[in-house]
Amino acid sequence: MNRRCLLAALLCWLFGAGVQASETIEWWQFWTDPGVKPTIQAMVEEFEEANPDIKVKLTDLTWANGHEKIVIAFASGKAPDVLELGSDWIAQFAVHGHLAELTADALKDSADFRGWSMATYQGKVYAHPWILGTRVLFSNRDLLTKAGYEKDFIPADQQQFKEAAFKIGNLGRDIYGWGSNTAEKHRLYKKFLPFFWTAGAQLFTDDNKYCVLSSKKAADALRLYKELHDSCGYVATQRGIEDAFLDGRIGFILSGDWLLKRIELEKRDINLVSTLMPGPRFPGRSFLGGEFLALAEASTHKAAAAKLIEFITSPDNQARFCKAARSANPSSRAAQEDEYFRSNIHLQTFIKQIAMAKHPPVDPNWVEMETAIEEAVEDALFGSGLVAESLMKARIKIDKLRRQ
Amino acid sequence: MNSPKSTALVLALPWGATLILFWLFPLVYSFVMGFTDYRLLVADYQWVGWSNYRELLLDPDFRAALKNTFVFVVGTIPVTTVVALGLALLVSQGFKGRGIFRAGFFLPSVTSMVVIALIFTNLYQRGGYVAMLAELVGLSPPEYGFLYDRGTALYSIMAMDVWMSVGYYMLIFLAGLKAIPDELYEAAEIAGAGKLRQFGAITLPLLRPVALFIVVINSIKSFQVFVEIFVMTKGKFDTATAVYFIYSEGLATHFRFGYASAAAYVLFVIIAVFSVVQFALLRRREALW
Repeated sequence: MNRRCLLAALLCWLFGAGVQASETIEWWQFWTDPGVKPTIQAMVEEFEEANPDIKVKLTDLTWANGHEKIVIAFASGKAPDVLELGSDWIAQFAVHGHLAELTADALKDSADFRGWSMATYQGKVYAHPWILGTRVLFSNRDLLTKAGYEKDFIPADQQQFKEAAFKIGNLGRDIYGWGSNTAEKHRLYKKFLPFFWTAGAQLFTDDNKYCVLSSKKAADALRLYKELHDSCGYVATQRGIEDAFLDGRIGFILSGDWLLKRIELEKRDINLVSTLMPGPRFPGRSFLGGEFLALAEASTHKAAAAKLIEFITSPDNQARFCKAARSANPSSRAAQEDEYFRSNIHLQTFIKQIAMAKHPPVDPNWVEMETAIEEAVEDALFGSGLVAESLMKARIKIDKLRRQ
Repeated sequence: MNSPKSTALVLALPWGATLILFWLFPLVYSFVMGFTDYRLLVADYQWVGWSNYRELLLDPDFRAALKNTFVFVVGTIPVTTVVALGLALLVSQGFKGRGIFRAGFFLPSVTSMVVIALIFTNLYQRGGYVAMLAELVGLSPPEYGFLYDRGTALYSIMAMDVWMSVGYYMLIFLAGLKAIPDELYEAAEIAGAGKLRQFGAITLPLLRPVALFIVVINSIKSFQVFVEIFVMTKGKFDTATAVYFIYSEGLATHFRFGYASAAAYVLFVIIAVFSVVQFALLRRREALW
């Protein structure tokens, strides 16, 4: 009897081992929100069902320290197989050989997705676009009406936008025309760059040799931004600006789609208008960023990891994920055509703006350059107030960085 | 193996290993790293000699960070020490409910710095309680809040730091006061010395070793100020201190471990010199008494 039991146990163990996943891949991702995480888990479970030989180990990161953890993981050779990366980080990791170049197979449907240029460094593609984000101009219709505008008024260009913001700013005490970010790291530059690009300014010359951050167009953009800030700006953190906007105290803010989620979740009663970034000619350009899925060069499960990336970024899963997140836009063109996006006027604004948005240069030193730009804007708004000098200082810093 | 010496060695081994692994090794390793161009994401690195130190001397961000650190140290140490001594003298008096006051003053020092920093971030914001208080006494608060103004941001953090630290140092002063023999005060009273004279001739001189300890410990802590800067301003509005600079260079933006290590050693030397000078000055006066 004992022998039979032992044999049965051995067979069970052998059989069990036979159906166990033959390889486990690790995926580090940032979506910990209780409203979104179950969707991530469900997608992973479906992937494992469809690929019984692959098991996925999911690890959550936070925006507060996720970047540091990824850097340390790469430096110590303990990186996971698949990583969710912000668009700004790709070049930084790719330049040191930590990311695997996507294979031709992974790029076979590349025309169906937007955002590849953000993952392309020196002609090689290092990550698959997953979700995209931009900023659009939100306004409060009630404040516009109080300022004397028709009920269907939308600023057609920068001049009209500026005038409307000033008029709202003059409506009374504690009413502001424009939500102006304070010196928040990684945020301020995303607010200034839409003005910068809309003015036709460039960070570098076309041949990418020289920084031209202090050009006349750039100075004009910063002057306009400063004018709004000084004349009718409500200055606070992004959260503070959004709070004041949702309380009906700000006429215009530049914000992302997370604001729509807040309005929905907090059941805010605001007469909301969303419109594309106004430019000298309508529309202007906004800031483009996104989340990408990349494969670590050191991964020993590249084929399995690539399968996971393909599965997660498939149009159906993108649409499903974005519906759960309610603060993300799919990079898949097919997913953007989903009824969920087509039926929502504000989400449509985001989809349209993405097509008109521009991303920062794909450069390993971008995070440092971004800091230099933010310092210039801070100096112009909160420090010396000298626009041209502030931009010139930033240009010198960026030139120095590029020489290094 | 059973000898007392062997037993002592075995018992000391965990502590010794921890000391070597987590204190001595990083200390020596980071010192060596300060002479290289080691960056976290780059596999290869070169020996660059004193180049990092030379670059630091010319780096305007590092110089600004050092300046802010000195302002922080020089601004907070005397105020913290004097207020802590004042509070210690107050709560050493025999009045009803003094235990509540002692606990109340001490409470901030056992509260998480992050929590306190977040509370003060709220207090300092535009339209916050501090701005309201300032308006009440006829002062005009900064337009966008105390932490969003170059003229007030660092000083606001310093004020918070003083508020948070005084309770802890008050307790140390209190212990020092308890250690002064009552007979000395009795003798002084018999000799006709008033309270002020007693304070100047007995309390202050006998508290000097305690004060020296407080000043040195608080200086070292203040030179290393980081958490409040990280939470409240992220080094913006002229609040970046030396440790914030090291963090920014090493971990946040540039990942230049070699450069950050060199900066850490510059700070180490400054703290060491500052501490030695404090010891020398305060001890010399002690000898005079």
